[in-house]
Amino acid sequence: MHIPDGILPPYLSIVGYGITGGMTWYSLRQINREKNPQEKIPKASLLTAAFFVSSLIHIPIPPTSIHLILNGLMGIVLGYYAFPAILIGLFFQAVMFQHGGLSTLGINAVIMGIPAIFAYYIFRLKYLLGNKPFFTQVFSFLAGASALGISAAIFIMITITNIPAEIDANTEKNAILASLIGYSIQMLIEGIFTVMLISFLEKVKPEILNL
Amino acid sequence: MKLALDKYCNINSPIHNWEQTSKLVALLSLIFAFAFVTKLTLLPVMILVTVTIFILSKLPLSFLISRLRYPGFFILAVIIFLPFVAGKTVILDWGIFTIKQEGCLAVIRIVTRFICILTVSLVLFGTAPFLKTIKSMKLLGLSAIIVDMMLLSYRYLEELGEMLTRMQRAIKLRGFQSHNLSKRNLEVIADLTGTLFVRSYEQSQRVYQAMILRGYGSNNNGHLLTTKNVKIDKISWLFSGITVIISVFLLLAEIYL
Repeated sequence: MHIPDGILPPYLSIVGYGITGGMTWYSLRQINREKNPQEKIPKASLLTAAFFVSSLIHIPIPPTSIHLILNGLMGIVLGYYAFPAILIGLFFQAVMFQHGGLSTLGINAVIMGIPAIFAYYIFRLKYLLGNKPFFTQVFSFLAGASALGISAAIFIMITITNIPAEIDANTEKNAILASLIGYSIQMLIEGIFTVMLISFLEKVKPEILNL
Repeated sequence: MKLALDKYCNINSPIHNWEQTSKLVALLSLIFAFAFVTKLTLLPVMILVTVTIFILSKLPLSFLISRLRYPGFFILAVIIFLPFVAGKTVILDWGIFTIKQEGCLAVIRIVTRFICILTVSLVLFGTAPFLKTIKSMKLLGLSAIIVDMMLLSYRYLEELGEMLTRMQRAIKLRGFQSHNLSKRNLEVIADLTGTLFVRSYEQSQRVYQAMILRGYGSNNNGHLLTTKNVKIDKISWLFSGITVIISVFLLLAEIYL
């Protein structure tokens, strides 16, 4: 779900960097408001690396397999650190694996990062309802699935509307439909996976969720 | 997981000797100028500049080709897809399949921009140690929190990658077969991912304690890195100047030509 270099019109790259700059500033401001912001940097950094590595895990969907995005989970676990963490992860992917790009780093961070912050707020809703195990599962699913859903929606909207040549309307409609079906399945898997992972972390290391 | 982005950073070439902070500014300006180019007449200029930079860097061609392998799938998809579906002017008609002029031009534009940007970014990050590049970003004003997170994440990426490989091997040896999608398989993969998080979290606590013992967070370790400490030699100024002029030329040509 990464947009590579060279495909987008220049104004969108600038808009992407503008929004990413604003979101990074907002996240850093929230982080700096904490009592000791430096204390959580090593934890956030190692979890960033762990998220990066876990994107290499593939879920089999015969005859193919998908890799997890986990931006919703990043929002749940890292909170406001999620946006800078995603920005760093995308930068590493662009320069190390040529996955994504430098000129599209801003727009890719918007696609992945804003839904992560949204997932963080969704997950926190469980505290309003009494923090019961049932609500933890419900909001984990909603956070995981909705983050991927929003990312996919932004990604599809940007790629379909900005491919730099006139595409036949029917082809465009079919492409959107095919993408929506594919991402709906992935949303479901990502939501279930987030529930399973949050349950595991609650049993084994609950303090990770209170980062 | 082998990152090995900077494995050729010790070659002696004009690009390797170019001071990294000024190189970062200049080549990033070039990358953004490339991203702005849409006019076909400017594409040969882009290719010429890219080829010159790559030859000057003395990086092996095999290194560039190996880095193009993964995004190559994207290029292939663009080449196969766009000429058939984009545009209206038919230049070749094979019954069901028709190749359109607009689609072909879009392919040329996208693929050229993509390869040129990728090559320049490879030269930018492959001709200096990666840690030096991150320090250069700090000098240019990147937030200390982001720089610290980048340095620490980079430090542990390979280690966690190896940890994951070991755990995947261990679950395979215990009979796990991940060929189909089932609740049990998904649970095993979730537990595997969770274990990776728990281990990295525990390691982060040890890392933080070690960093505190070495004076991290005392607020007096950031002043050593300032732009005043950077010495940019004449050759680096020259390279930076030429690169920025080319970037400005491309932008102006794109607007006014």
